[in-house]
Amino acid sequence: MSSENHFDILVIGSGPAGQKAAIQGAKAGKRVAIVERDKQVGGACVHHGTIPSKTLRESALNMVRFQRTSNVFDFRLRDDLTVPALIQRLDEVIQAHSTFMAAQLDRNEVKRFHARAKFVSAHEVDFTTPKRMTERYSADVIVIATGSRPRRPDNVPVDHEHILDSDSILSMTYLPKTLTVLGGGVIASEYASFFSLLGVQVTMVDQADRPVKFMDAEITDGFVQAFQATGGRYYGEQKIEDVQWDGLSKVMTRLGNGETLDSEKMLMALGRVANIEDLNLSAVGIEPTPRGLIPVDEFFRTTLPHVYAVGDVIGPPSLASCSMEQGRRAVCHALAIDPGHPAEMVPMGIYTIPEMSSVGITEEEAVSRHGGALVGRSRFQEIARGQISGMTDGLLKLVADSQGKKLLGVHIVGEGATELVHIGQMGLLGQVEIDSFVENIFNFPTMAETYRVAALDIVKQRPR
Amino acid sequence: MAEALASVELEQVEHIHAALVDRITKDELKLPLLPQVATEVLNLTSDPDADMAKLATLIQQDQAIAGQVLKIANSAAYAPRSPIVSMQQAVSWLGMKMLGELALTVSIESGVFRVQGYEPEITSLWRHALASGLYAKEIARQGRHNVEGAFLSGLLHTIGKPVVLQAVLEIQQSLGVTLEWNGFSMLLEVHHVPVGASVVEKWKLPPQVKEAILYFRDYTQSPNPSPVAMVTCLADCMASNLLGLNSLDAAELESLPVVEALNLYSDDMDDLQAQGEKILQAVDAMVV
Repeated sequence: MSSENHFDILVIGSGPAGQKAAIQGAKAGKRVAIVERDKQVGGACVHHGTIPSKTLRESALNMVRFQRTSNVFDFRLRDDLTVPALIQRLDEVIQAHSTFMAAQLDRNEVKRFHARAKFVSAHEVDFTTPKRMTERYSADVIVIATGSRPRRPDNVPVDHEHILDSDSILSMTYLPKTLTVLGGGVIASEYASFFSLLGVQVTMVDQADRPVKFMDAEITDGFVQAFQATGGRYYGEQKIEDVQWDGLSKVMTRLGNGETLDSEKMLMALGRVANIEDLNLSAVGIEPTPRGLIPVDEFFRTTLPHVYAVGDVIGPPSLASCSMEQGRRAVCHALAIDPGHPAEMVPMGIYTIPEMSSVGITEEEAVSRHGGALVGRSRFQEIARGQISGMTDGLLKLVADSQGKKLLGVHIVGEGATELVHIGQMGLLGQVEIDSFVENIFNFPTMAETYRVAALDIVKQRPR
Repeated sequence: MAEALASVELEQVEHIHAALVDRITKDELKLPLLPQVATEVLNLTSDPDADMAKLATLIQQDQAIAGQVLKIANSAAYAPRSPIVSMQQAVSWLGMKMLGELALTVSIESGVFRVQGYEPEITSLWRHALASGLYAKEIARQGRHNVEGAFLSGLLHTIGKPVVLQAVLEIQQSLGVTLEWNGFSMLLEVHHVPVGASVVEKWKLPPQVKEAILYFRDYTQSPNPSPVAMVTCLADCMASNLLGLNSLDAAELESLPVVEALNLYSDDMDDLQAQGEKILQAVDAMVV
């Protein structure tokens, strides 16, 4: 093999994890290549996930802002409102983001390829382009960052026309009257809340008794209340028997309790699966887990010490923010560079309307780990800034130890939650005591005041 | 154009070409109306509150269309469990969307794709339009693009051709000349795109259909980055191949730039090619 076809580091996949891995390798002076199966860099995050859904979210939020000023402006939704009109900036946003990322890779002299990658040996990978051209490349270190795609259960015949998944939901050209959302996870909750706010009658159906089960129950209750206030319905503890398009006008969802739900369209969001099929992992002896994920150690190494895996292919938390860090740390480990201390805690941000966010541990975990907990609450309606901005539906919850001294967790539902949580994150990292939120001065009026109100709530509950 | 037309009656073709350009420039080209039934079917099938009975009644109002729809519904492509004898039964077997699509297709065929004396040529154009529409749906599905709108874009991307043909026949008559099919063919290729775009604009069809017509031959020129022009471009090529209008082998088809532009890999193309037989069956069923 020619030296042209040999790299120090080869990254497979150009989503958040792959990009950061490639950039880290290039910054360390290595010869790096990145291979992406899509035309543009960015992966699902840019083309089907985070960026597109947040663009739709922004449109839905703009509507809420207009509605809040209905005493000033005569505002109503157009009858012929189309999805492309709602996400008309999407192509520009994607193009700009993708171009920026490609430029960043180019600037760092990362060689880019548009092809599918397939292992042929431990250090050799075949790249096959859409035109069936195959060329072999090799690398000392290989990072797998191929991401994930929507899961396709056998009993849900996704046709991307009536029954859509998160890859195709935004290809709809019009807003349906009714939408059934299968699933109660992050993607299901986000889209359900966007479409509900846009006037679509949305029913979420899931096995769990509440959506986004890993979040604090009080926070998800707040979300469900807001969702229901826009006309949405969460139908929990339901088994989905099967789904079919009736060939006429509706998608029929048959539930375990014998009930059938009808809707014009369906969003299937029952989880994601790792993109590993094309990699030919068996050729190099990497055995996926029963859930189809690539097993890795604490340094993101697979069973082959020079092959790393990062991002969605290794499973939760499957957050873009964490995937980026995994990519960076994997390459640092491969090059024996000190990556710094691993992040002690990762904030969780869910871009539903309203947003949900948390960092640290929940009340339940605090009780089980520390034998007790004091919880302080602050409702957005009690805060001047919340009233001024019309953001009165929200709750910030601080979890402290049983003495009410040590901050253990922060959980928020409400607009701006994903930003507001970072104050708590810094507090947790700095081991700030609850009293600090009372004794220090915040700008007024700001939503940060919620921390002071919640802290005062804890102080008054302290054992005397 | 002169070189391409060297083998046909160049002078006559150029006269007709000039007259056609004159009509188009002066906005004097007769554009067909969207058949009434098609307009109503479009309105009805895009209305979520519409019911099946309304659609059945609407189609029944035009006996010729109703007859053709029933014939197609009974064909092997749609494989009914028992013979379909009523429009209500057709609605319940085929589904409202599918039946609406069929009725729309049939009414466009009967309203636009009818030019006396040129039946074989028009049938060939129509078969190509149908195959393009059906392929466009599958390509859109494969690429997670809008499936619902893809059919209409593929079906109508050459709607300008029968319109231009009709106009050429009129001009030919007024000039007292007679062209060979090659001459017609050249004129259709030159003029069908702007004429087709005017037709669908007049019919007030979704803007994606006009975009598909204007840019399917060179999607890179589209000011709108939506994939509809690319999908239609590939659908057009695959339909031509399926119907023997060109003869690209699998490798040649896969090396078309649009395949890469749509990010379709060889297995995606294999899946699409495997749909050929089903599409051909549906086309045969729809051509009466």
